[in-house]
Amino acid sequence: MWYHKPAINEELLQSLPNLKVVASSGVGIDHLDVKLLSSYGVKVANTPFVVSADTADMGMALLLASSRRIVEGHQMAVSPDTEYFPADWLGVEVSGATLGIVGMGTIGYKVAERAKAFEMKILYHNRSQRKKEEESAVGAVYCKKIDDLLQQSDFVLLAVNLTPQTHKLIGKRELELMKPTATLINISRGLVVDQDALVEALQNKVIKAAALDVTYPEPLPRDHPLLKLKNVIITPHIGSATTKTRWVMMEEMVESIEAGLAGLPVPREVL
Amino acid sequence: RGIRVGYTPDVLTDATAELSVALLLSACRRLPEAAQQVRSGGWTTWKPLWMCGYGLSDSTVGIIGLGRIGQAVARRLKPFGVRKFLYTGSGPKPETAAEFGAEFVPLTRLAEESDFVVVTCALTPATQGMCNKDFFGRMKKTSVFVNTSRGAVVNQEDLYNALASGQIAAAGLDVTTPEPLPTDHPLLSLKNCVILPHIGSATYATRSTMAVLAANNLLAGLRGEPMPHELKL
Repeated sequence: MWYHKPAINEELLQSLPNLKVVASSGVGIDHLDVKLLSSYGVKVANTPFVVSADTADMGMALLLASSRRIVEGHQMAVSPDTEYFPADWLGVEVSGATLGIVGMGTIGYKVAERAKAFEMKILYHNRSQRKKEEESAVGAVYCKKIDDLLQQSDFVLLAVNLTPQTHKLIGKRELELMKPTATLINISRGLVVDQDALVEALQNKVIKAAALDVTYPEPLPRDHPLLKLKNVIITPHIGSATTKTRWVMMEEMVESIEAGLAGLPVPREVL
Repeated sequence: RGIRVGYTPDVLTDATAELSVALLLSACRRLPEAAQQVRSGGWTTWKPLWMCGYGLSDSTVGIIGLGRIGQAVARRLKPFGVRKFLYTGSGPKPETAAEFGAEFVPLTRLAEESDFVVVTCALTPATQGMCNKDFFGRMKKTSVFVNTSRGAVVNQEDLYNALASGQIAAAGLDVTTPEPLPTDHPLLSLKNCVILPHIGSATYATRSTMAVLAANNLLAGLRGEPMPHELKL
């Protein structure tokens, strides 16, 4: 299945008695009730590692686009109303700024590798601390308490998976702990953020800006306040959207399905 | 006429390199286009190949002009999984190139083999109009062209034709001729061309440093003293 459709529930599973395997695109499995599927004897596979590099690239792209005002700048450059480029139209440099990565899994770590080349200071919050060699390779400092990360970061990037524990991980309290000059970047799942609290925080300048590849729902309803805010960049969940990666994802899903149907061990099975 | 000239090199290297990478990513991942689709309601359902761009993993990056800014760009691109760096210019720079394992090649080979071309050279009689029909004709259909040097290094008509006909996949330009482009310029109508208003060095920190340096150059000049950064004429 691509994206999160169709919705898999008891009704669907009962109507498909011969279903053996569900192959899901991407790494996130928050849209699947794996226990339920397992109870019907259905195996689940995803496409974890192939999406990591492109998604990390997207995280950096959003971080840079927000800080250097790329979307606004492009609009100015192509607008028929622009007569000259103002000399005092400025952005903020990413070099030397502090990046706080929430969720230092495969994708979070790749973001850290990229950010290091921009001479960013890297903090991270994770369920567990990474090995010393991994930390020193990117100069990342562990923040056992997310509060410490939030208070010190100029950019907060979310790269956790969506679970009951990370649902609304970033709410009003967390946004208020962030610097008023900070930017929130989300490449995880919309529901990791309390979206209403985010809207309020952006409107009241509690934080400076947001750059989101994911929201809830996707797409947002046409009248949603996030679509009107000037200090927000939203992209349509394209973290893994390169032709090469999407083809590999397709191949991996087909491979998992074929193995499942043949009764063989399923590559990338989610247990 | 005996007029001395001061300028502000070096202090804007990081800001400009950063902007070059930001522009490259915005172009290859179609950021402004995608953001526009979200706002305009063009994003209805999700499809696997919709809004797909090009990734940097395993790519070949060609840098035209491996000077201070070119090097800073290469340094920032390296951890994105770039497999190979190529560069071209007036001559090889082995000590600099060693940091990236970059290979010195003729302009034609750089065009033919690069997935991403980044122009960070100075504008001189030799580089004027260098990126032209022949250059774009050699580039891959899947390649992305980024210019943060000077508009005049690029033959804009040839670039337009290359983008419109699918000869190259996308372009990112921080500089054009003139700036801004006239409102009816064909480059402005292309979805696969990201244009920025010459903001390479446009950060609060860098422009402040530049301004102070420029003022110090001026004061030194007025006092008949050596300038912090004087252009040798």
